[in-house]
Amino acid sequence: MRVILVLAMNTYREVIRDRILYGLILFAFLLIGISLLMGQLSFAEQARISANFGLSAIHLVAVALAIFVGSNLVYKEIDKKTILTILVRPISRFQFILGKALGLTLLILTMIVGLALVLTAVFAFLKMPLDGRLIWVLTGLLCESLVLLGVTLLFSMITRPILVVCFSFGVFLIGHWQDSLEFFAKKSGGGIAIVHFLASNFLPNLERVNWKDLVLYDQPVDTLANLNSVAYAICWFGLCIGLATLIFRKKDVG
Amino acid sequence: MNVLSVKDLKKSYKQGFIPKSTSVLKGLNFSVGGGTVTGFLGANGAGKTTTMRCILGLDHLDSGEVLFFGQPLDVKARKRIGFLPERPYFYEHLTGREFLEFYAKLTSSWNRGVLRDRIDELLRRVDLTFAKDRALRNYSKGMLQKVGLAQALIHDPEFVILDEPMSGLDPDGRLALAELITETAKRGPAVFFSSHLLHDMERLCQHLVVIKDGVGIYEGTTDALLDRSGVEYEISYLNGGQKAARKVPTQDQVQPALKELINNGAAIVEVRRLRASLEEIFVAMALKGRRS
Repeated sequence: MRVILVLAMNTYREVIRDRILYGLILFAFLLIGISLLMGQLSFAEQARISANFGLSAIHLVAVALAIFVGSNLVYKEIDKKTILTILVRPISRFQFILGKALGLTLLILTMIVGLALVLTAVFAFLKMPLDGRLIWVLTGLLCESLVLLGVTLLFSMITRPILVVCFSFGVFLIGHWQDSLEFFAKKSGGGIAIVHFLASNFLPNLERVNWKDLVLYDQPVDTLANLNSVAYAICWFGLCIGLATLIFRKKDVG
Repeated sequence: MNVLSVKDLKKSYKQGFIPKSTSVLKGLNFSVGGGTVTGFLGANGAGKTTTMRCILGLDHLDSGEVLFFGQPLDVKARKRIGFLPERPYFYEHLTGREFLEFYAKLTSSWNRGVLRDRIDELLRRVDLTFAKDRALRNYSKGMLQKVGLAQALIHDPEFVILDEPMSGLDPDGRLALAELITETAKRGPAVFFSSHLLHDMERLCQHLVVIKDGVGIYEGTTDALLDRSGVEYEISYLNGGQKAARKVPTQDQVQPALKELINNGAAIVEVRRLRASLEEIFVAMALKGRRS
């Protein structure tokens, strides 16, 4: 466990010192700023529109970190050969992948918490009531990032970063459109029904951890269902990391 | 006791859109003894780097057996090995101190005080104390090579493997690194390093393993290899103010020749043992294979 933490902290430090992170932070602040302006355009729904924009900003940053940084997480180590001096140490390839993933997850958590604090200030400015449901929304965002990070790491074992980003973005889109796919599959059948069958059975349903409506539409929390969805996300992450490790163990890294 | 035994190592890679297998190692055998500096010699493409990566488990073997300290490469063995890869790229975002701390924590569970002392000691040894708080992206090539050697030694290994440690360094850098390798070996660990810089090999290594096209063609002491092409002795002397030299074919003939020269009134200046350089022998070995 100690080794995994050491690798995680190094990954965390590496991304923190990377310029891409500051670009994303700037982007998030910009979106949150725009959310205030957009809110003012609306007469009745100012707070809701601002909240929606703000939460979407956090969502996008978390997903972008998982996919864009995740796609390079192991590839860069192999490409730059930094992995050579790591894997000769008493470290298994599973520990290596898990350490890298944990480091990026910690960073995504830090980003979510940091941006949520900014959003809380915006909520306070708009005199929008806040309660524990925001925590559930943020937990959902973290779970989604975790699933996408796992999927991204799995893809990164078999192809190059640019394709990994494309595939992971595809999983992100399908993961949020499964309900729509089901609707169209029922209506038209045929090819869409097959796509829906494959997507619902072999890809994660990210809507299960999308809890923004709790805050935006003042909906009640179903704690048991939410905990079930958290477990669902963790299982997907575990499955992807497990498969990624199996592939990675067969790989020549030299 | 051997720190490393390699038996019948075979490795091939598949390359191309329609995968075609290329055999790199074709049944390599050698061993490295404890407490020695062993050079791993071969031309570019002979399979030196592939061998190192295979024995360290970075690339998978097709077949063969690799034993470290008499055991297969497991967690215990890994703790006793240090490795510096060829043209190393390190985490540029780390400072020299953070870099060594990271590698130390991966291998050992020293407390903070011991860790700090160990890092300070190694930075002193590789003469990088002045740059300890500088990011690695601002290090020169020679400095990177030195800090790379320090990471290989940070956990006090019993066996150090260095892949082309002097490649790309200027003469000053090579000299500094050669001194570090000598000093490391004096402290106890066996050193196994690859290079195609033959002068450095000749100077630093007591043992040599020479490979060609993925097969071992020599394993033994450096002296035995150098003596292979024959030895002769050259006596330089002054005779009537004129510098002159006389060669004798065996060591037994040196004393009689010296006596004779002295009796004839010559002033002896120097007696030198002459033999072919490692470079000459290596080129001859390479040509021999090519011709056959």
